[in-house]
Amino acid sequence: MSTERRVKTAQLATSAISPRVPLLVAGIGLVVVILISTAVGPANLSIPTVAGILLSHVPLLHFHSGASAIDHAIVWDIQLPRVILGGIVGAMLAAGGASYQGVFRNALADPYLLGIAAGAGLGATIVIVASSGSTTWLPAAAFVGGAVAVTLTYIVGAKFGGRSSGNSVVLAGVAVAALFTAVQTSLLQQHAPDLQSVYSWILGSLASATWSNVWLIAPYAVVSATVLLTHRRLLDVLRLGEEEAASLGVNTRRVRLIVVAAATLGTAAAVSVSGLIGFVGIIVPHMVRLTTNASYRVVMPVSIVGGAAFLILADMVAHTIESPAEVPLGVVTAIVGAPFFIFVLRSRRAQQGVL
Amino acid sequence: MRSIQKCLVALSIIAGVAAPLGAGVSGASTTSSFPLTLKMADGTFTFTTRPDAIVSLSPTSTEMLYAIGAGSQVKAVDNYSDYPTNAPKTTLSGYDPNVEAIAKYNPDLVIVASDTANFNTQMAALKIPVLYDPAASNLSQACAEYGPLGKVTGHNAQADKEVATIKATIAHIVATTPHAKKNTTYYYELEPDYYSVTSATFVGKLFSLLGLTSIADSAKGLASSGGYPQLNASFILKANPTYIFLADTLCCNATAASVTARPGWSTLSAVKNHRIVPLNDDIASRWGPRITILLQDVADGLKGTPVPASS
Amino acid sequence: MAAREIEAAQAIVEFRDLVVRYAESTALHSVTHSVERGRWLGLIGANGAGKTSLLKALARLVPFEGIIYVEGRSTLELSRREFAQLVAYVPQKPEFPPEMRAIDYVALGRLPHLGYFGAEGPNDRAQSLDLLNRLSLGAMATRHLSTMSGGELQRLVLARALAQDAPVLLLDEPTSALDLGRRVEALELVDELRIERGLTVVSAMHDLTLAAQFADELALLSGGEIVATGTAEEVLQEGSLDFHFGTRVQILRTDDGELIVVPRRTKPKGPHG
Repeated sequence: MSTERRVKTAQLATSAISPRVPLLVAGIGLVVVILISTAVGPANLSIPTVAGILLSHVPLLHFHSGASAIDHAIVWDIQLPRVILGGIVGAMLAAGGASYQGVFRNALADPYLLGIAAGAGLGATIVIVASSGSTTWLPAAAFVGGAVAVTLTYIVGAKFGGRSSGNSVVLAGVAVAALFTAVQTSLLQQHAPDLQSVYSWILGSLASATWSNVWLIAPYAVVSATVLLTHRRLLDVLRLGEEEAASLGVNTRRVRLIVVAAATLGTAAAVSVSGLIGFVGIIVPHMVRLTTNASYRVVMPVSIVGGAAFLILADMVAHTIESPAEVPLGVVTAIVGAPFFIFVLRSRRAQQGVL
Repeated sequence: MRSIQKCLVALSIIAGVAAPLGAGVSGASTTSSFPLTLKMADGTFTFTTRPDAIVSLSPTSTEMLYAIGAGSQVKAVDNYSDYPTNAPKTTLSGYDPNVEAIAKYNPDLVIVASDTANFNTQMAALKIPVLYDPAASNLSQACAEYGPLGKVTGHNAQADKEVATIKATIAHIVATTPHAKKNTTYYYELEPDYYSVTSATFVGKLFSLLGLTSIADSAKGLASSGGYPQLNASFILKANPTYIFLADTLCCNATAASVTARPGWSTLSAVKNHRIVPLNDDIASRWGPRITILLQDVADGLKGTPVPASS
Repeated sequence: MAAREIEAAQAIVEFRDLVVRYAESTALHSVTHSVERGRWLGLIGANGAGKTSLLKALARLVPFEGIIYVEGRSTLELSRREFAQLVAYVPQKPEFPPEMRAIDYVALGRLPHLGYFGAEGPNDRAQSLDLLNRLSLGAMATRHLSTMSGGELQRLVLARALAQDAPVLLLDEPTSALDLGRRVEALELVDELRIERGLTVVSAMHDLTLAAQFADELALLSGGEIVATGTAEEVLQEGSLDFHFGTRVQILRTDDGELIVVPRRTKPKGPHG
């Protein structure tokens, strides 16, 4: 190899993989998507109008948009919190997916693997049935239900798993999910009129997003994202497998526990306000890996931003296609996600079984 | 407006209302003489005497039965039949009828609002007659249910009288309510997640009598929703309806205050001008004798008269 | 001997009464031995004799009874990071994430020297690149692992182990995946680095001839016990090997005095045709 090439390779090699460029691209995409999504809808406001309304809320800027009070309310009180909430939920689901894929070293892992979906669903069902329609306690119940399910899964899997506890935890998740779903189904059988409410919650929706939802889950999202971002290097080490990671001085059990806990926290918070939206946790991290790099250095932060943009986009589709009726968000992501899932299944990476 | 013109307007309104209601009051029917052979939903049955162990699995049918004087013949009603309050409420379900549970009451007549082939076959096997009184889609359908009900229970005259009273009351309400200006719209909230009604539904048609148009009429995807489309907050805000009617006050605690508190809703003219009218969920969802109360509540809302808490 | 020589010659790895049990069986029945600094101990024995279990116990990857000292300290007292700074372990079949770059793979070896979150400094990167160059892999620094050959990956794993800067190197069958030519190459490399950096090597080896040529000391394991230790001359005895490997071997000597272990047929060749 010539000297120049050698030097160039050396230069490339000495810099660690940086997420800067993909992050910038994803960030710009996110801003664009936010603007478009806030504008599109039954109100059909123009983007300049929307931008004007948003600017008028920037403190100290004293910008006055000429929009009517109703248009202003539509953008600031209805559309924007929905977009922001969608961004947070998408970010949490994508980060959760990337984390679970790293911990379980499986390309098809998603944050619902350990039973959180069934747990949250049961929590939501209990509240809907008990209070017939009042939604005050819904987020809290879904959150608690999800957290309880995952904890139960972990305890059962770790206790009975022994050395192969990774697989046992996943299998325990299947069992716990089945149990919670059975309880939920029997509850619904006895309260048939609530069926529609429960199912529309399960299918996922951001229709009732308010600023208070945003503030409610923001702290959990921040904590979750912080922990996951700081642990991305350790997730890279886990790619070497249990033995080699341990021989490099990593407490693999503790790292996995912390990452799963943080990812579950973020996912439970997301699910509590948006219902069960699937496939985001699989699609987004994989798209990031395909277009940039498989290192969690890049995958984690870009999934967070990319996940936000993806879900905002999906939500835009969900509330414009049948406007003013809403297509459940879970349906939109499934329609995009299922073919993608099959594609990943067949891809070289998945066949090698290693990420 | 001069009095003659007022009279003409009133008459034309009544005519306009009466026309779709079909012919005017006919001669009183003769009381059924038993034994009576009738074709029911699950076959032809002969009633040796008038039925006095009636099971009603439809809250509207329950109200109708009592209105025509057949209350004493009712043995059991479903878990949602809460009016009149002295009706023998049980745990029977009208949504998911359990044939064995129904049979335990030894009914000689069962009235349902949903028609499933399975149910009819099973009831036919048990030799229990089923009267099928589905949800009415307009006023004439609703009124038409009283006749057969009166016939099978032996209260023909009372049934006719009830129909006449209903029609007359409606005509009176329409006549005494100032006709709404053109383009007076309303948002009718069926559920807190913005399910509404179009003017083509039973409720919508009642509202049309008073000159009101539902904002849901312009919602896309109507065909698939059968007249009950789901709206969203942006749509409602943009449509800025003149009135807001809440039909989810009982199920979901919707009130004028709770609606005003929704983010962004305070910009609506209906909210600013206190034109939010709470309705009773049950009265608004049935097509029985209390539709006159529903119409009165709406008329009161238009006139600005406070609607009594639970009519 | 001068004081410094005495110090240098002390045992860097020592294990006493080591027992390794698995659910169904006992892999090691109380073995005791030690390795001096800078020396190469070759573990030989039949499959299932306990070589891998011994290495894994030394690497703290399986639970054990007994005591293991590294640099005079009991391994159980050391934190994971401290231990990883002292002992580097290379498994028989390492995992190679296909989409990882060679330089990043090697840089993972620096982990025991970094903080909890693994934030690298510029020195760490430079060191990793140096190692790649030393192992003639410099040109492949930015290549993905999936594009590298078996021989290159073998050297890459060594580079990563060296990046740990640990004085003790544990190798489990380091040449089993390599062809004839690459085997000698890999072992000569280990030997060079051992001398250059003063490493202590403990390796499990199948090929007895190569073990004889490269290890300073051999330990023969059989049925979970160390049945012989010493130089190649002392340990490689025909009768002993016949018995412990359950087959027939012949030991030849080259002109240079090196030992060659040759497996022989136990049954005569069948009739032709």
